[in-house]
Amino acid sequence: MELALANNIFKNRLSNLKDEPVSQHLNLTEADINSPYIIKEIDTQDEQMREFLFTLGCYEGEEVTVISVLTENYVINVKDARYSIDEDLARAILI
Amino acid sequence: MRIALAGNPNSGKTTLFNAITGKIEYVGNWPGVTIARKEGDVKKGLNKSGDKIRVVDLPGAYSLSPFTSEENITSEFIKSENPDVIINIVDATNLNRSLFFTTQLLELGIPLVIALNKSDLLKKKGIVVNSLALGKKLGCPVVETTSTEGSGLTDLIDQAIDAHGKKQTSPFTGLSASAADQTTAEKIKHERFAFVNQLVKEVEMRQIASNKQTVQDAADRIIANKILGIPIFAAVIYFVFSLSQTYLGPFFADYLVGWIDNLYGYIESLMGTEVSPVLSSLLLDGIIGGVGAVMGFLPLIMVLFFLLALLEDSGYMARVAVVMDRYLKKVGLSGKSVIPMVIGTGCAIPGVMATRTIRDERQRRTTAMLTPFMPCGAKLPVIALFAGVFFSDAAWVGTSMYFVAIFVIVVGALIVQRITNEGPSKSYFIMELPDYRLPSLKRAFISMMSRAQAFIIRAATIILVCNAAVHIMQTFTWNFQVVETGMENTSILAGISSPFALLFVPLGFGAWQLAAAAIAGFIAKENVIGTLAVVYGLTNFIDTEEFELVSGSGDVAAVMGLTSVAALAYLMFNLFTPPCFAAIGAMNAEMESKKWLWAGISFQFGVGYTLAYFVYQVGTLITTGSFGAGLVPGFAGVAIFISIITYLIRRNDQNSKHILKEAV
Repeated sequence: MELALANNIFKNRLSNLKDEPVSQHLNLTEADINSPYIIKEIDTQDEQMREFLFTLGCYEGEEVTVISVLTENYVINVKDARYSIDEDLARAILI
Repeated sequence: MRIALAGNPNSGKTTLFNAITGKIEYVGNWPGVTIARKEGDVKKGLNKSGDKIRVVDLPGAYSLSPFTSEENITSEFIKSENPDVIINIVDATNLNRSLFFTTQLLELGIPLVIALNKSDLLKKKGIVVNSLALGKKLGCPVVETTSTEGSGLTDLIDQAIDAHGKKQTSPFTGLSASAADQTTAEKIKHERFAFVNQLVKEVEMRQIASNKQTVQDAADRIIANKILGIPIFAAVIYFVFSLSQTYLGPFFADYLVGWIDNLYGYIESLMGTEVSPVLSSLLLDGIIGGVGAVMGFLPLIMVLFFLLALLEDSGYMARVAVVMDRYLKKVGLSGKSVIPMVIGTGCAIPGVMATRTIRDERQRRTTAMLTPFMPCGAKLPVIALFAGVFFSDAAWVGTSMYFVAIFVIVVGALIVQRITNEGPSKSYFIMELPDYRLPSLKRAFISMMSRAQAFIIRAATIILVCNAAVHIMQTFTWNFQVVETGMENTSILAGISSPFALLFVPLGFGAWQLAAAAIAGFIAKENVIGTLAVVYGLTNFIDTEEFELVSGSGDVAAVMGLTSVAALAYLMFNLFTPPCFAAIGAMNAEMESKKWLWAGISFQFGVGYTLAYFVYQVGTLITTGSFGAGLVPGFAGVAIFISIITYLIRRNDQNSKHILKEAV
């Protein structure tokens, strides 16, 4: 865990040095349950999905909280609603 | 004047629509129930203006930029049909998201009234909303409503009448600019949400932050649990079935069947002996007998629909979608495909139509093809009949049919996935989880009555006509002579269905009567019951003791000439072959491809035949120690079906290999 954290910091530095927009953020599957995170990026090629998530209030700068992990679905709280999303989508939400 | 109802999914638009128009449109406690617009007039009691007010219920949308096809309907309607007033239904417990859409609607210049719906939940959730301040900030009237209880509606309609013809100003402008260039549009979208965030801060107070764990979340973890999810679903379905088919349903059905028998006797005595025997038999055995046999199952179906309505109202179905998503994803579908299937338990037609909410074309077509496998309301009497007559414990038969259906759907989806050459699905799944709530008995009752009405109308029209036709075909020979006693095989009906009966020998039901019932079932599944009643001259399927007396046979199975295993095979065949013509029509409309339609129908035939074949042959082997009749010819049929599928899969595999090689 600490090692992973260290790695992350290190990677962040690296990317800062190179000044490349390589995404080094965690995604929702790696989030702790019950802690609010700020969404950093929606990492998807699916523009329509990005648009749709936006209308739900799920976009960079907004808060997201993982409420529970059910099977391969994640229950998340965005704005004041609960959504069930699948793992693919959870991976696309970077925090 | 015309009012449009618009708002986020599951904000209660259709419930509000039903409450102000008195209509009974289908509602459910999950997002995306309404897929097409619905219209009705405001009830006289609520309308003080005296003029007719038309209300249009639109599918839920999160914004005016359409993302799903239902959102498209909504945004098209509002933009192009110029309603006089928009009632924007806002979920009071989720202002933060809902008001994004509201600010867009306000910009259209059409007078807007906000219905702050679900306001009864505010107290429960420890939220205080200053609706006065909200109205002032937005520049439109805000009315607190609870559509499930019908409160606030008079005020809402008054405000809407009042707003008619007025100008609407907007506190935020940006809609026209968003069409300009992309960076401006991006910027404005963010500004819009920032505006909403600021607004919510000013008018809303929350004692408990929404991202804190609640009892509901704990319940979700059990109900949609990886291991427990499926057993809980099975238990729920079993409970629903045993109550509707073993306990409560038959209890009411006994009375109804008694009345139908009395009616039969009464009409028989009315006609006396002067009426021609052919005519009196047509009326008594053909129409009253056939329709009566179907109607006898009405109480069972009503109890089932009542319980399903309670389930839908409770919020449980959305969790079922979550549990199923995991399995469906592996076979190229998504949790979204569950919704059509859940609706399909009532009737396959709206079920197939609900596939419209699925964005991916292949997923949509596959779901439309597989949804009719779900036992619908019309198949239920068939299940109830066979469970009651051939199996002492009715509940497990019904429950297992649902699970066989799910199994068939999963395997079917897998096969379609392999044939159409798609890797595991990559489309994202997102579904709002509605709050659990205590289901309303009143709403379930209303829903049950409306479905019962539809069932009765079908029985009195299409089923009646079919039964009369079957009876006539059974009464006359090809030379239009009345069939003589003991010569039933010479009737037109026997002539038509005998060749088909031959095909059914390997499935254990090679009698022409059973074939005729199965064929009539393609027109409407209730016909299976009606036709069986007509061809075997029975009226009462519910009370099997009485049934034995009527038929004069000690053994029910002997009347139909079926063993329990053959009966199960026959049941499977009727459930898993193509649905009625109306559902096939719906499939055609949603698939938008003749190729897919014919593939779908052939697949359904193949599945029905194969399942029945294996049930009968393997079942007979287990129960009697030897295979049933027609083992080899039946196997040939099944083998052809399986090899066609294998061929298609192989061909596809090779195609993809070619593509891979070329890519390399």
